[in-house]
Amino acid sequence: MSNGLLTTAVGSYPKPDYITRARGRFQRGQIGAEELTELEKQATAHWIDIQERLGMDVVVDGEMYRGDMVAYFAENMSGFTNSGLVRSYGNRYYRKPIATGPVGRDKEVTVDWWRYAQSLTDKPVKGMLTGPYTIVDWSFNEYYPTREAFLMDMARVVHEEAVDLVKAGARYIQIDEPALSVRPEEMEMAAKAFAIVTDGLDAFTITHICYGDFAAVFPHLANFPVDMLDMETTNSGYDFLDLIRGYPSFDKYVSMGVVDVHSHVVESLDKVKSGIRMGLEVLSPDKLFIDPDCGMKTRTEEECVAKLQVISDAVREVKQELGLGLG
Amino acid sequence: MITTMVGNYPKISPDAKAPSLRTAINRFDEGRISLDDLKRVEDEVTQEVIQDQVDAGLDLVTDGQIRWDDGQTYFARGITGYTINGLIRYFDTNTYYRHPIPEQKLQSNGGISVKDFEFAAANSQRPVKAVITGPYTLARLSQLGCYDDLRSLVMDLAGILNREARALQAAGATVIQLDEPSILKHKDDADLFAEAIECVVDGITATKALCTYFGDASGIHRRLFGLPVDLVGLDFVMGPANFDLVADLPEDKMLGCGIVDARNTRAETAEEIAETIRRLAATVPMDRLHVNPSCGLDFLPRPNARAKLVRLVEGAKLAQGSAS
Ligand SMILES: [Zn+2]
Repeated sequence: MSNGLLTTAVGSYPKPDYITRARGRFQRGQIGAEELTELEKQATAHWIDIQERLGMDVVVDGEMYRGDMVAYFAENMSGFTNSGLVRSYGNRYYRKPIATGPVGRDKEVTVDWWRYAQSLTDKPVKGMLTGPYTIVDWSFNEYYPTREAFLMDMARVVHEEAVDLVKAGARYIQIDEPALSVRPEEMEMAAKAFAIVTDGLDAFTITHICYGDFAAVFPHLANFPVDMLDMETTNSGYDFLDLIRGYPSFDKYVSMGVVDVHSHVVESLDKVKSGIRMGLEVLSPDKLFIDPDCGMKTRTEEECVAKLQVISDAVREVKQELGLGLG
Repeated sequence: MITTMVGNYPKISPDAKAPSLRTAINRFDEGRISLDDLKRVEDEVTQEVIQDQVDAGLDLVTDGQIRWDDGQTYFARGITGYTINGLIRYFDTNTYYRHPIPEQKLQSNGGISVKDFEFAAANSQRPVKAVITGPYTLARLSQLGCYDDLRSLVMDLAGILNREARALQAAGATVIQLDEPSILKHKDDADLFAEAIECVVDGITATKALCTYFGDASGIHRRLFGLPVDLVGLDFVMGPANFDLVADLPEDKMLGCGIVDARNTRAETAEEIAETIRRLAATVPMDRLHVNPSCGLDFLPRPNARAKLVRLVEGAKLAQGSAS
């Protein structure tokens, strides 16, 4: 690793219009899977190229081939069917997975995509998985007698996929758990499941968590079976840093979100630099990564690139000011 | 025993011949149909979901809250002083609502839900329950905005919603339900909560129901049971500890029993439902029970929601048959 303050991203990037259109045509049977995959590869290469040009240290494939982060895994694993349409908010609907049998994995889900993305760059590409707790919490359950039974089975399946990513060469494995922070009473169970996922993995492990009551679950997060916590930070006013400050034995790596992914407005260089400096007050540069708050698929490409650019510029300037080498 | 719904019902149907609210909203947003056209579709879908409830055999129906984006903004948009901000997660569900913010001191702007209640009542063969998001929950799910503290926001909302309840009563509502899930997450606020509920129900002679969900009432159940309402609703699916609390329900109060899981597609059997009713009826006689799903059914696809109501009625019949 370099001198710290590595830049990265949480996962998704906006899909170009041609992907959105192609997905629609694929669903209506107007194009085949191969044609869709070619376009998804083209879009993946585009985002890898953007991240290289911005000088990002640890890159992601941008998830051009995924729809919903839970449905993608459910559709590629056994034991799930899709529900009818349920409402997410306003006039937005989606099909929610239903566990109707024991969950399992007949084939690798994400490994080919990881290999493809890694073949395009010398920068490390993160292996990206959705965590067992989030898959369970965001699915219906018609099979398992308890949430815990569903969760432990799910954890074993995600672990298998993580092992295959490491075998393929992934050095960073991110296992997203955005559902984690809303039910403090289930944190212990969630941590037990996560430990199954990361057990014996020869890789740097990351989990992304966002938009919840972090204070209520912080002691659990501080002891979570993972190397790095990737946190939505700027949207919640950097309160997460105060939690670290109040917990002297905290020793996790942190990836800190310094731009808001739900706002069209691109943050100023000064604002992002001051966010980074706040992070450096509680964490040493080698323990701190810098990224956006969350996945960026709801932004336009222009907004997304501008936000990544300001992160890149801010990190470079802060490193110069601190006399840290440019990795 | 009364079979009923908590509140909302899925807005869209997989039936291609049914009026599609989803399409209508998209067309309205694109400027291709007028507001009147959209309202006509909302009316048709409301009629359809009332009929679903009547067909399932419910004794007491709601309008399905087809016109509500969510329980917060439906009321906030009708109260002067609120603006509506970005998306925020609704409790521990994977659904979202827009965050209301009081930008100035809130004031009543006349009836919010009264016209919708009148429409439902005129289009239902069964009595219609009016539902209001309670002042405590509405305040908790808003930002404080220009208010200095939670208390002043809660009490301003209580006054405004009292006017709403009175207007609903004047429009003929015989059952008025206040939804208050948030109190289960902030039990230290029981005093403020009691004050707010007393304010909202002042002058209301209709049957007053206080409905909680997403947890159990342990620690505050005696306070809830002592409030000047006729019925207290509890969620026995997400709050199984509620089974141990109902023995403390005073004899002049009815119990709302959320016993069918409104957040999971697995359909309970009629026998399972009957068994749960018998368990509750061992403590609170059946003639003091309202039985219903654990919360609104909008978390489910329409066919699953409909099946849940059918089973609920079957289970209630089974329990009553075995009791007589
Ligand atoms: Zn996130």
